[in-house]
Amino acid sequence: MNCLQFENALPEYLEGSRTAEQQAHLNACTSCSTLLADLDLISTQAASLRELEDPSPRVWNALEIQLRREGLIRRPETQATGGFFSRWRTAWLVPVAAALAIVAGVKLYQPARVGDIQPTAKVSPAPAKARPAVATPAIAPEDKDIMSTVASRPPAQVAAYRNDLDQANAFIRDAQEAVRNNPNDIYSQQLLINAYEQKQMLYRLALDETENNDEQ
Amino acid sequence: MSSGKCAAGIAAVLMLSGLALAADTIHKDLHFKVGKHPTVSINNPYGPVVVKAGAAHEVAVIALLHSDKVELDQSKSHNRVDITSHLLAGADEKSGFVEYEVLVPADTDLTLQSETGRIHAEKLQGDLTVAGNNGPIEVTDCTDGHVHVRTLNGTVTLSNVHGHIEIMSVGGDVVMRGVTGTLVAVNSNSGRIEYEGDFGEEGDYAFTSHTGNIDAVAPAYASIDVLARSTNGSVQSDFSLEPKHAPFIIRGANAISGTLGKAASSVNLFSFSGKIRLKKRQN
Amino acid sequence: MTDARRPQGNKLSEAEAIEKAKQGDPEAFEFLYNLHKRRVYSLCLRMTGNTASAEDLTQEAFLQLFRKIGTFRGESAFSTWLHRMAVNVVLMQLRKKGLPLVPIDETTEGDEEGVVRKEPGAPDERLTGSIDRLQLQRAVDELPPGYRTIFVLHDVEGYEHNEIADLVGCSIGNSKSQLHKARIKLRDLLRANRPERAGKR
Repeated sequence: MNCLQFENALPEYLEGSRTAEQQAHLNACTSCSTLLADLDLISTQAASLRELEDPSPRVWNALEIQLRREGLIRRPETQATGGFFSRWRTAWLVPVAAALAIVAGVKLYQPARVGDIQPTAKVSPAPAKARPAVATPAIAPEDKDIMSTVASRPPAQVAAYRNDLDQANAFIRDAQEAVRNNPNDIYSQQLLINAYEQKQMLYRLALDETENNDEQ
Repeated sequence: MSSGKCAAGIAAVLMLSGLALAADTIHKDLHFKVGKHPTVSINNPYGPVVVKAGAAHEVAVIALLHSDKVELDQSKSHNRVDITSHLLAGADEKSGFVEYEVLVPADTDLTLQSETGRIHAEKLQGDLTVAGNNGPIEVTDCTDGHVHVRTLNGTVTLSNVHGHIEIMSVGGDVVMRGVTGTLVAVNSNSGRIEYEGDFGEEGDYAFTSHTGNIDAVAPAYASIDVLARSTNGSVQSDFSLEPKHAPFIIRGANAISGTLGKAASSVNLFSFSGKIRLKKRQN
Repeated sequence: MTDARRPQGNKLSEAEAIEKAKQGDPEAFEFLYNLHKRRVYSLCLRMTGNTASAEDLTQEAFLQLFRKIGTFRGESAFSTWLHRMAVNVVLMQLRKKGLPLVPIDETTEGDEEGVVRKEPGAPDERLTGSIDRLQLQRAVDELPPGYRTIFVLHDVEGYEHNEIADLVGCSIGNSKSQLHKARIKLRDLLRANRPERAGKR
């Protein structure tokens, strides 16, 4: 038996079917016995590769998200909201409650109109600044008053203000939708509160500045 | 403690340091004596307002008016100083431009307003209310007070600020470095929110945005109770958080929740469609 | 906030976790994930050779597992069930990519891959007593994908040839011969990458 013949028969040899001829060749041939030893070593050491590494935390995070999305994780809302959110919510709600009051005769966006959906029409161009253009068109009815208070400003300012108002309205719309989809979800409710606050800030700002300018 | 001379010296330094001199600029130099814990407000529609902590009991105001179409209105009553750049008829952003450099006692309660100018507040310990439209706002080394910042599209940068902090922005980015407090709340629309700090002081940290991304970098030793959720954007975390019950069922949102360390501070990162990333600080 | 104590990693707790997971308990899912993530991830990593794919496949494997967990009745070991699922996920991925799962014997492509070359006069130096794990890892990563699959499944993960034939869709004989060639190739790689050392022990 020569080396080539031995090698061809090697797989069976390793499985246990060994002939005397093969054994004899092994005893005589260093090259083949080395080969055998090496292959043996490789196959036994291979198991050391079995459990080597942990995946990054990202994997679990993404997995958990997907499990929730598919409803495989379904924990009932047993958690009382008090301990979790209360500090934060209180801090935000107090100024908002005050903020949603009617100011200086101008009607602010009212929470009672939560169900309202802004009419969507064609897009109007946004001012030429690197800010996200919001695809709302006509001025919302409740914003007409505040827009008229800023109308006398330089056009660039008016356009910028309009863009900001559009962003605020878009935020409110998105938050409203989130609340509609998840009525018991505190997070969505908080988003809506934040969205209102932004709009309220814009109103206050316009009124403050109008006051200042009026004193000229 | 200060005397008139000292204040004048400071004023001269300030003048040389930063204020631009134009041909027909009008230079104003005002000093007010105040008691403890005074209230100061500065309203300057066009132009920068820089306020730093100075001597106790004195408010020193240096103003450069760029034309005669704007006047400096001042009023002082008891422990309160109000300064306003009063725009006269026909004044615009250029002619109405005024530059302010102000020194106030550290414990002053301060209100600063500008439409286009940069607002800078430094080393103060009283309550600070800042309202800017488009100019950048910087608050540095301020502790102990309530800090309320509102901007439309200016960038807000807080460095080493501690206390009760509330920031609202429409399109301006909000950048916080070394900011901690009992409450740190940021409400943004499309502005980015960036936080780099340790979320310390057992505070409530609440960053919300409509579409702006939220990036928080915290050290491995942070002790936080995290809830991060974006309805339409992605949420990523470098940290392996201890799991906990999230108090709501989320439909169609991406979320991460869990605790790190003793969960001393609460960290709530919420966005409608912004990306949220909670990253570990590389030391 | 409730502080659910993590169950210890013993068989009984795994069974409990499985039952809880069937009810939708998020902590049970995470417990099962943590128990088996290393094995699954390492498998995916060995078979694909890159972290990004391995992470995606790990996620996919667990997702499929958790989707089907309601049907698990305990007839076989949970880990075996999961592992098979993971292997299937990886193989499916490799198939999609058009990578050969296990090369069939006929395609030798004219090169001497898998055939031991005898260089006259070349010193027949044995590989050292134990192969450095990192070296072996690297060598496995360098294997052509078809060889890699078979080697990982058989020698690393311990699947039998008949199981591999089943999973991969080849004959038992093919599985055996490809394994042999994979080992030969690994040996070549390990010998080639071995640092030059005179008078090795």
